[in-house]
Amino acid sequence: MTETEGTPPEGGGKVEAPPPGDALNVARRLAVAQRAGGLLVPLLTTILAFLIGGLVVLATTGKNPVTTYKAIFEGAGLNWFFEVGSHELRIPFTQAHVPFPWNVNDIDSLAAYNLQQTLINFVPLVLTGLAVAFAFRCGMFNIGGQGQYLAGAIVGVWIGSELPNLPGLVHILLAVVAGVLAGALLAGIAGILKATVGTHEVIATIMLNWIMVWTGVFLFGLGGPLQNDTQPFVPVSNDVVDRAKLAIFWGDPALQALHVGFFVALAALVVYWLTLNRTTLGYEVRAVGFNPEAAHYGGISVARNYFLAMAISGAFAGLAGAIDIVGWQYRINTNDVMISSQIAFVGIAVALLGRNKAIGVGLAGLLFAALTTGTSTRNLDPEIFRPELATNLTVMIQGLVVLFVGADVLVLYLLNVRKRGRQRAATRPQA
Amino acid sequence: MDERPVLELRGITKRFPGIVANDAVDFDLRKGEVHALLGENGAGKSTLMNVVYGLYRPDEGQILVNGKPAELGSPKAAIENGIGMVHQHFMLIPVMSVAENIVLATEPTHNGIFLDYAAAEKRVREISARFGLAVDPRAIVQDITVGQQQRVEILKALYRGADILVLDEPTAVLTPQESLELFTIIRSLTEQGKSIIFISHKLNEVTEVADRITVLRRGKKIETLPAAGATEEGLARLMVGREVLLRVDKTTSQPTAPLLSVQGLTVEDDRGIEQVRDVSFEVRGGEIVGIAGVDGNGQTELIDAIAGLRRSKAGRIVIGDEDVTDDTCKECLDAGLGHIPEDRQRRGLVLDFTLAENLALHEYDHPPASRYGWLFPKRLIDKARGLLQEFDVRGGGPQTRAGGLSGGNQQKVVLAREIDRNPKVLIAAQPTRGLDVGAIEFVHRRLVEERDEGRGILLVSLELDEILSLSDRILVIFEGRIVGEFPPGASEEELGVAMTGGGRKAAA
Amino acid sequence: MTAAFERVLGRLPRGARALAWAGILAGILAFWVTLPPVKVREPIVAILIGLAAVGLGVAAVRQGVRRLGWGAVAIGVLGILLGYLATRSSVTHLDQVIVWSALTAAMLRYATPLAFAAMGGIFSERSGVVNIGLEGMMLSGAFFGILGADKLNSWPLGLLCAALAGAVFAFIHAFFAIQLRADQIVGGTAINFLALGITGYLFIDIYGGEGTPPDIPKIPSVHLGFLEDWYFIGPVLGQLNLMIWLALLTIVATWVVLFKTPVGLRVRAVGEHPRAADTVGISVYATRYVAVTLSGVLAALGGAYISIGFVNSFNQNMTVGRGFIALAAVIFGNWRPWGAAAAALLFGFSSALAQRLPAYSESAAVLFQALPYVLTLIAVAGVIGRSKPPASVGRPYQKQ
Repeated sequence: MTETEGTPPEGGGKVEAPPPGDALNVARRLAVAQRAGGLLVPLLTTILAFLIGGLVVLATTGKNPVTTYKAIFEGAGLNWFFEVGSHELRIPFTQAHVPFPWNVNDIDSLAAYNLQQTLINFVPLVLTGLAVAFAFRCGMFNIGGQGQYLAGAIVGVWIGSELPNLPGLVHILLAVVAGVLAGALLAGIAGILKATVGTHEVIATIMLNWIMVWTGVFLFGLGGPLQNDTQPFVPVSNDVVDRAKLAIFWGDPALQALHVGFFVALAALVVYWLTLNRTTLGYEVRAVGFNPEAAHYGGISVARNYFLAMAISGAFAGLAGAIDIVGWQYRINTNDVMISSQIAFVGIAVALLGRNKAIGVGLAGLLFAALTTGTSTRNLDPEIFRPELATNLTVMIQGLVVLFVGADVLVLYLLNVRKRGRQRAATRPQA
Repeated sequence: MDERPVLELRGITKRFPGIVANDAVDFDLRKGEVHALLGENGAGKSTLMNVVYGLYRPDEGQILVNGKPAELGSPKAAIENGIGMVHQHFMLIPVMSVAENIVLATEPTHNGIFLDYAAAEKRVREISARFGLAVDPRAIVQDITVGQQQRVEILKALYRGADILVLDEPTAVLTPQESLELFTIIRSLTEQGKSIIFISHKLNEVTEVADRITVLRRGKKIETLPAAGATEEGLARLMVGREVLLRVDKTTSQPTAPLLSVQGLTVEDDRGIEQVRDVSFEVRGGEIVGIAGVDGNGQTELIDAIAGLRRSKAGRIVIGDEDVTDDTCKECLDAGLGHIPEDRQRRGLVLDFTLAENLALHEYDHPPASRYGWLFPKRLIDKARGLLQEFDVRGGGPQTRAGGLSGGNQQKVVLAREIDRNPKVLIAAQPTRGLDVGAIEFVHRRLVEERDEGRGILLVSLELDEILSLSDRILVIFEGRIVGEFPPGASEEELGVAMTGGGRKAAA
Repeated sequence: MTAAFERVLGRLPRGARALAWAGILAGILAFWVTLPPVKVREPIVAILIGLAAVGLGVAAVRQGVRRLGWGAVAIGVLGILLGYLATRSSVTHLDQVIVWSALTAAMLRYATPLAFAAMGGIFSERSGVVNIGLEGMMLSGAFFGILGADKLNSWPLGLLCAALAGAVFAFIHAFFAIQLRADQIVGGTAINFLALGITGYLFIDIYGGEGTPPDIPKIPSVHLGFLEDWYFIGPVLGQLNLMIWLALLTIVATWVVLFKTPVGLRVRAVGEHPRAADTVGISVYATRYVAVTLSGVLAALGGAYISIGFVNSFNQNMTVGRGFIALAAVIFGNWRPWGAAAAALLFGFSSALAQRLPAYSESAAVLFQALPYVLTLIAVAGVIGRSKPPASVGRPYQKQ
């Protein structure tokens, strides 16, 4: 937001202005440039961030950054895609097989295992990314993904571990829906505060984050109400009962394998796009996001949309927490409460890099999932680079991406260069 | 009067992308004179003065202060050269005291470290006594009146030793009495040797207060002439470049039943001050009712209350036969209200939406635009295509961003949207502000057509010309009250008297 | 002498404000009487005093003193609840937990890093730049402080390193927020990421799995021998870390600079109405750069206190949200140095209690850690009056 006070640079005789017929072309060209920038800028930013990260690797350890990144790439299992052959894919619910370039039946190779881990991480990143993105589209910054994710996870693990006599599907649905509602409720508090008394949502959601963190530590800590029934000296929740766990569709269920929550994340991307672009709710949310005053003059209730957008945003984050619990974590300990829930912060980077667009969030989610997985202690080859270092490298790269994309540095830089060039051309030496 | 110029501008040119705001403008200011800079909105007056005050750098040209070339690259440099400016939007910090605002950046101190509030207040008292500008140095700026705030601005400049004062549209925010007081202050300042540049687009003020007048039009200087002997008609011709003739062809109105009725309406502003007091009037179908008044006499609050954007304190509002008192904005619109808001860029349009989306702002939530919350973008686009053609919107199609259009075309989009809803009553607030002549004519013609269709139109405008040429009845608002009703043939003088509070007795 | 006395009297709150303050004091008293050393065991006493507090609060509210009045009501209710709980608890437990001198000293220790960072936050926000990067700047101070102290074998040089690191991170934030006019929340988030990544990376790279060595020079405590025998004051103030006294100095200095000097007037002007400041010749950019950089320095000093003044080691992400508590203190204190300092003390007290309460219940004690956030949420929710940030905070300024 820039200051609009003062005198707008209006003036008289248009000399350099193009003739009216051309104005359309200029506008169209600008739109095209923006759209191109919308793809180009995130790409360049990512490359720049990786370059800086590479320099850090080189400067501090003297190791070859390319080898390091290759190890991370393989740690993320992305090399799986390069093992092309003639394989078959069974179409779900049938016995029919179709030819497929990749070997999905290979569930035990290291590449396949690593890729499964990446896709497991992809799920919460996309969902928390969508949470941030949805609020952004309504003109709000939901920095409370952590708290909302936790709310979903806490409620998810609670319902998932209690009520043992429910049919599996009902149990899962119940746990997930309750998690979604918990996330929506928490974010809704911030939404209501913004709508009624104008509390800045950033402040409110930061406070709610930490309230949830300490609530989580309280609940699962020793002597806490939801602490494990059978292990009195471990600060962890009960396990989700087997029937309430999501089905595994790729990988060895004994290890950590890809669950059907992956499809929930993909579906969420579609739902996100449809909600924004094909529903009256999305229309209102975008109108309020672009210009709350005009929306208000047009008869749209700004307060209602602030609340709804925040609640929906929180629902995405709550979904992420619940899916993680019933999908692969199955339990949550106090350490997770402090650390893993920070995955929601990466959602901010995902949303920013993805430009709050469904496809962008999907791609950025994949990138960060790969990065997170590829640098984890379990996946990165310690011979090549210490995973503990690489984990922090990931955080650094995330920071750089947020810094650069959030500021549109490259766009600004390019615009400035162009403007300066024009000014130089326009300014003649003074008399 | 000393003939030596204290300030001289030679060939000042200032360009903005796509526009030349000042085109080789020459200007000079003599010691102890009031030199008015006259021109329409957007003629380049403010740009020129921002160049003088160091806020803009000119692309070409030279500035001389007291005969010597001066580099005015920043406000600081301008202040050092004895130039002070009173901006149209005050540059005051509302939560700070008068004294703090005045001494800011040149504060008196103890030992060069600590603020010396006592000294600051003392100095403020001294200069305010010397120039006859009474203010309380301890008062908090947000608690004092606009007129007093303006004095603080003038004091700020004088405190910094300004010999040249630039007043940018100083009367735009003042009540008539405050304007008269300002003129007295200006005279006392020039008597003490200060030179004043007075920016205005109001002819009567300029002839009253100025010694010389320079007319700007479309960034170019047209003429400098002595105020003595200048006529308003002559100045108007110079300003606009043609005879001013804003008459709209229209037949006499055929009013039908009342479509909007306001009774005993009282509205408070955000600070709890009554801005509309016991206002009653009716707008009938087939007539245009104009509300004339100086800015800030309750027009905004009145419109907001009728449009459901602000709660009323007392009174009743009826649209058609539906009581909409304190209904929400949506309910008012549904009752048959169309609203062309004052500021189309901030309130009328979502600039980042496409034209199709903007045109659907009232239609999006019911068929055919949507059903069960499901939106049909194709239908919005088809609908928009027709409307854009009907209202002759140029510069883009249904999928163009609204922000990419010119002001006139943007206003046509707003007009199209509000009229397409087939409203019973149409509120038009400053519908032609900042538009070019062609767009103004279009808007005016369309408003008259809608009147002839049988709608009731409430026109609120600060431009007396517009009120006089469009209205079938004229109501004058002053300090939140309707102080008089006039026929369309009323003279500017009659209205002017009423707008400045003189007509109150006549109305009572 | 009498004149001075009268001046003090004249500054005391009057009328409804006095009522509200009396209510607040009564609310605290309701709890206090049930604690050591008084230890009233009858709940009715606490309840009666607490009700009086509520009554005074309501009276104040009815006379228009809303914020303080509701505060008194809340504290009264809280006093009754806590007082009741205390009378239910065993005396041994009470004596074990409520050791006033130890609690107060702990409160000061926990409040110190918050106070540093909060003063930093005030400078930044008063100049119009939101700084949610305080957390990261604090963390960088904690790491580079201990790194400097270790490698240069001197705690003052460690502090200097911390200040420099904080300044660098803050400068990055300033550059993006001011020069590039980037969203300040996004920028602050990026700073938090960056600081977390960089400190974590260097920590692992330099100290590996073993962690920081135990023999790092630490910031000394100030031993005030003459206070030793004084009741209460001796144990509390006699042996405080130097940084705690520096924090007090920083608070006073912040208040003096912001409200008693031309520099402060200009900083506030820039935060309220940058264009107005610009038109009288104040450089908005320079002012904001200095203020934001200073905020980084102060936050980093707070972080350095944690690593080389308090726990004498470093861990990844060791600030765990203290930067956000500092931000909360800024808001809770209404962007005023004394207000923020009081909030830091309050939040420090809740941490100190959380440390000692496990005697009752390990898990419930943790909830006290959340108290600062709950209180701030209530404050920004406008239940007890509206917090009013500087008018232009968060809005980039564009020169014409």
